[in-house]
Amino acid sequence: MTSRAARRVAALIALCAVGLVSPLSAQTGADPSKVLRHVFPAAETGFDPAASQDLYSGTIIQMLFETLLTYDYLARPAKLVPLTAEALPEVSDNGKTYTVRVKKGIYFIDDAAFKGRKRELTAADYAYALKRLIDPKLRSPWAWLVEGKIIGLDALAEAAKKTGRFDYDAPVEGLELPDRYTLRIRLKDTDYNLPYILAHEPTSAVAREVIETYRDDAGRAMSNPVGTGSYMLKQWVRSSKIVLDANPGFRGFVWDFHSDDPADQPLIAQMKGKRMPQVGRIEVSIIEEDQARLLAFQNGELDLMDLGGPLAPNVLDGGKLKPEFVKKGIQLSRIVDPATSYVYWNMQDPIVGGFSKDKIALRRAMAMAYNVQDEINVVRNGQAIALEYPIPPGVVGHDPNYRSPVTYDPALANKLLDYFGYRKGADGWRNLPDGKPFTIRYASRPDSLGRQLDELWKKAFDSIGVRMDVQKDKFPELLKLERQCKLMMRTASWIADYPDADNFMQLLYGKNIGQNNNGCAKIPEYDRLYEQSIRMPPSPERDRIYHDMARIIEVYAPWRLDTATYRNMLVQPRIQGYRKHPILHAEWAYVDIAKPPGSVSATPGNRSAPD
Amino acid sequence: MGGYIVRRLWQMLPTMLGVILLVFFLFNWVGGDPAYVLAGKISNQEQIDNIRRQLGVDQPYVVQLWIFIKQVVTADFGASWSTNERVSHILMTRLGPSLTVVVPLVIIATIISIGLALAVAYVRGSLTDRAVMIVCTIGLSISILVYIIVFQYVFAYKLGWFPVQGWGDSFFENLFVYASLPILIGLVVSIAPELRLYRTFVLDEINQDYVRTARAKGVSENRLMWIHVLRNASIPIITNLMAGIPSLLLGSFLIERFFSIPGIGREVILAVERSDFPVIKAITVYVAFATIATNLLADLTYKAVDPRVQLK
Amino acid sequence: MATDIAALRSGTQASARDARHPVSPGLWMLAWRRLRSDTVGMVSLAIVAAFIVMMILSALGFVAADWNREVGINYAPPSFVDVEPAAPPPPVATSGATGAESVPTGPEYHSTIVDPIGDVIEQLRSGKPAGAPGAPDKSGASDEKSVDPLADVMADIRAGKGVAAAVKPEDRRATLPLGGDKWGRDVLRKTIKGSETSIFVGLAAAAVATFLGTLFGAIAGYYGRWVDDFFNWFYSVFSSIPYLLLILAVAAVLQQKGTMTIILILGLTGWTGVFRLIRAEYLKHKSREYVQAADAIGASNARRMFVHIFPNVSHVVLVQLSILVVGFIKSEVILSFLGFGVPVDVVSWGSMLNEAQNELILGKWWQLVSAGTAMAVLVTAFSLFTDALRDALDPKLRGRAGT
Repeated sequence: MTSRAARRVAALIALCAVGLVSPLSAQTGADPSKVLRHVFPAAETGFDPAASQDLYSGTIIQMLFETLLTYDYLARPAKLVPLTAEALPEVSDNGKTYTVRVKKGIYFIDDAAFKGRKRELTAADYAYALKRLIDPKLRSPWAWLVEGKIIGLDALAEAAKKTGRFDYDAPVEGLELPDRYTLRIRLKDTDYNLPYILAHEPTSAVAREVIETYRDDAGRAMSNPVGTGSYMLKQWVRSSKIVLDANPGFRGFVWDFHSDDPADQPLIAQMKGKRMPQVGRIEVSIIEEDQARLLAFQNGELDLMDLGGPLAPNVLDGGKLKPEFVKKGIQLSRIVDPATSYVYWNMQDPIVGGFSKDKIALRRAMAMAYNVQDEINVVRNGQAIALEYPIPPGVVGHDPNYRSPVTYDPALANKLLDYFGYRKGADGWRNLPDGKPFTIRYASRPDSLGRQLDELWKKAFDSIGVRMDVQKDKFPELLKLERQCKLMMRTASWIADYPDADNFMQLLYGKNIGQNNNGCAKIPEYDRLYEQSIRMPPSPERDRIYHDMARIIEVYAPWRLDTATYRNMLVQPRIQGYRKHPILHAEWAYVDIAKPPGSVSATPGNRSAPD
Repeated sequence: MGGYIVRRLWQMLPTMLGVILLVFFLFNWVGGDPAYVLAGKISNQEQIDNIRRQLGVDQPYVVQLWIFIKQVVTADFGASWSTNERVSHILMTRLGPSLTVVVPLVIIATIISIGLALAVAYVRGSLTDRAVMIVCTIGLSISILVYIIVFQYVFAYKLGWFPVQGWGDSFFENLFVYASLPILIGLVVSIAPELRLYRTFVLDEINQDYVRTARAKGVSENRLMWIHVLRNASIPIITNLMAGIPSLLLGSFLIERFFSIPGIGREVILAVERSDFPVIKAITVYVAFATIATNLLADLTYKAVDPRVQLK
Repeated sequence: MATDIAALRSGTQASARDARHPVSPGLWMLAWRRLRSDTVGMVSLAIVAAFIVMMILSALGFVAADWNREVGINYAPPSFVDVEPAAPPPPVATSGATGAESVPTGPEYHSTIVDPIGDVIEQLRSGKPAGAPGAPDKSGASDEKSVDPLADVMADIRAGKGVAAAVKPEDRRATLPLGGDKWGRDVLRKTIKGSETSIFVGLAAAAVATFLGTLFGAIAGYYGRWVDDFFNWFYSVFSSIPYLLLILAVAAVLQQKGTMTIILILGLTGWTGVFRLIRAEYLKHKSREYVQAADAIGASNARRMFVHIFPNVSHVVLVQLSILVVGFIKSEVILSFLGFGVPVDVVSWGSMLNEAQNELILGKWWQLVSAGTAMAVLVTAFSLFTDALRDALDPKLRGRAGT
């Protein structure tokens, strides 16, 4: 059987088997014959905005549910715009009170939980969603988004721990509903990042009736997503396939985005004025193996694909597509992820931690021995940049001109160790200044990335004559040990929840030990500066504080900044209007699919087999 | 016979208890603590304790063991820790795709292996026999990982005979389009060892007296091999086949991952990656149960087909 | 199958029994003679022996000791292939992420943060002998500071350590005999070094499994009754749990500490087959005359089990051992795939095949082919040798490959 014949058979069978047509939507212009096929490299978990934690579930949630705010599709750096809100929130009281109005006339998709009535979206749905995040029974991984911030909410959670039931009807001082469409949020402290949180998908509106109908014993509704979003869940084969259909009741919007980037202009010309969304159906497959994923894309079985690092050399030459892909018309949308990877040293560890000069020297020598460029070339296959500054590109507060003095210099590292008395013993390995032997334990995961980083660090430690062991463990175990400050060093990474420096600088805040301050660093000077910074809106003054904090990271070396990776999205030629967004996970509502010339539009039930 | 069945069923109890104890020891006692992953990017000790409480992993081991036994007895393993999906639902939905691959694979592999086994056993000791056996041994020596990587690249991508990966909604689409290449790889991997094994079964029979008698009576060689020998050799073949199916369901995890088939094997790997113990424990217990049950069934078949077999 | 084999073996047994002597050199001599006349068996044996010699040479450091050196360019193609010139290797930056001489901070910005060891670093960087007057910290090593500060690094390089510094980028070769991996390491040397790990893992794990299986089987079969019941129960528990889950669970328990872990994972999970066969053998042998005779002369249980009976079942053990070696060499690949492979500074065929997984679609097939072929040749030879060995030890089974 040839591939063509095989696919014909597939299409034919699909025709017989599916036979169902989703109704053509008048409002949105979504065409059921336009099917976008995407791929996830790992499985989703479920579609409850408050309970799903992984990126892939979050991607689907962004399509099914709506937050108050979202990001402009083309503006860079990422810029907040209203989604279901009428306008951006009004800030008052020095960044302690936010007032936001929900658009009228937005409806949830029909569901049995609404008992046949149309259900309008109201401000109370957002208040409900925020309360759910802190409900102890729900054990939301997103509790930190609201914890300790909104007046009265924490007390409610405390009460729930005692009674065992979270009282969603109790009034919360910080979540006021002056009328059906208005939500006023009052904060305990100044926080200029609240609008970002309102654009983060865990705060998407959910209907209380729906949750109470479908919830499990933990109060989660993972498999019955009912939202107001542009798409709705049509079919879900867990950890294998997710099919979304355009929401026929979605209000729609007209494609009208602007950008100063000349590269965006053809795209704007092509898309401007279209009624969105255009794509009638989205099919997401989950394919774990790299080889299978890339081969499927090259075979035309996928329209969009996130090209991971291991596959990059096959498709890219440096930062550009290889000629054979250009010839096929494949498009590439490439951004630097708003994320950092960094190596931390446990500041409480007796060997690598502490603030005495010899300890600082040891950490700085290790930092200097590590060749980040090697990691980029070999491990990341060129698909990463070396970070100079703790705030990565694409995040407010990033300074493109900052140059870190931490460089790859094993010779200097050796001299430094010699100077501070880390002398070599008879076995050729260095000992501590007091003459005792020591071994650095580098912790990593048992996957191929972990293994490659092990190799690189092993080389780094060999080059300065320091003994290194690898501590291998599964991720949950590593996290557990890390929270207890029991790991010595590890390469960790952080991806932006919202594009503001604070999301990164809090990683070294002393009070976050046991949470996400993985190296258990408590640097008084840093903490003082951090506390200043959180009371300030983005400004040159705040940037100056961040410079000082970056400098502290360099001189005390609790971290060695590592890389930020490129995200390369491969796009088939028939997809129009695609641009990878740095914060939004899914851009599917903003794209269109070109029809093959001469094709009859909207064949009922045609799942458009590629041919 | 009835008494025998009752006794064998009764003997299953201590084995199942042992399985439960071992699984409990491996996962509850020494397995990891998933609370830290479930707690999210930013979490405090209080939230982690809360999660541990809700999952029941803060209970004394005796209590946890008791809960586990109750789960096994009621066949209700609760919900997955990472997705909150009912474990029973996970197993039900993943079984279909696995069987879609495994059942045709077993049938085709058995037919081919038996045919070849009869043929090479008939010419035993000849050059053909030796050559086939050596080819089998070589085929056996290549890692299944290599087969998968190369076959997917060559047959699905380079030659385009099959889709690279995928899984549809209709059974026939899955069987004839998506499962074809996985089944082909499965055949390449499983025919060699089966052929070697079945050949010995057939050889056992060929040397029996009844074969000589039948031949002396003038039964044709074809009839002799296909009817007389095969009927007797089929007993060990069937028992061997049945005993192999439970482990085959899990064993195809590599194929399921590379071809994105939503089956049991892939689910196990996913559950292990997520430390999703309810799912792992349920699959282990069910497969163990299936193994014990098929062993019993195989013994019974053995006895039913060949009354000479003495059951202890 | 145990009973079939037992039923078919009697000729060789007879001599042992008659001689009332546990060790029967005749059996082994006869087997060796039979094996020698088996061409396929002898060729396989030669191949296996060659691999084992290679493994020993590699373990002693005579060959492939420097497999870790990056002698070629990244993904250097094999010398015998006529490939279009490879894309130039990614620039290997020798100094830091963005050029060594970059200014610490933006020009118009002055941080108030004090570098606690900034003065030392400045001195060291400027090449002044550190520990010179004015050095802020006493240093016990200061007397030695007149020596070349790079002396130890140089020593390392000479000793073959300090991999990164070993070969200058411009000295790297464009092609290698069997190609290079992503780091430019020689695939041929990796394959040889990998054989060391893979064969060792296979042999050692098979030894562990065979030892456990034989021990348990001997005790269960010899003592019978409740001891037998207990071990049978233990066996049925172990063999009911799916092998994959057993491996994953044991791997999770042992954590990852190195090659020993893999050996233990495989050894602790792979003993069941041996147990079943050996138990059956002991059940049969314990009532034989020679054992009863040993009882009569007052031999202890342990002596009867291991001195008297064991030699008579040792050929079963040997064949099982051989079968397990083959299985475990293949299992190591799957363990690597699951992330429980060998540690970083060790290479095995499993780790090579897993590395090679993504290389095939890059068109870099040589690592996959090298490791795959080496493994296939060894495993084929080992299997054929096992068959020949079985035939030689038990001529009645001749031609019955694969039980």
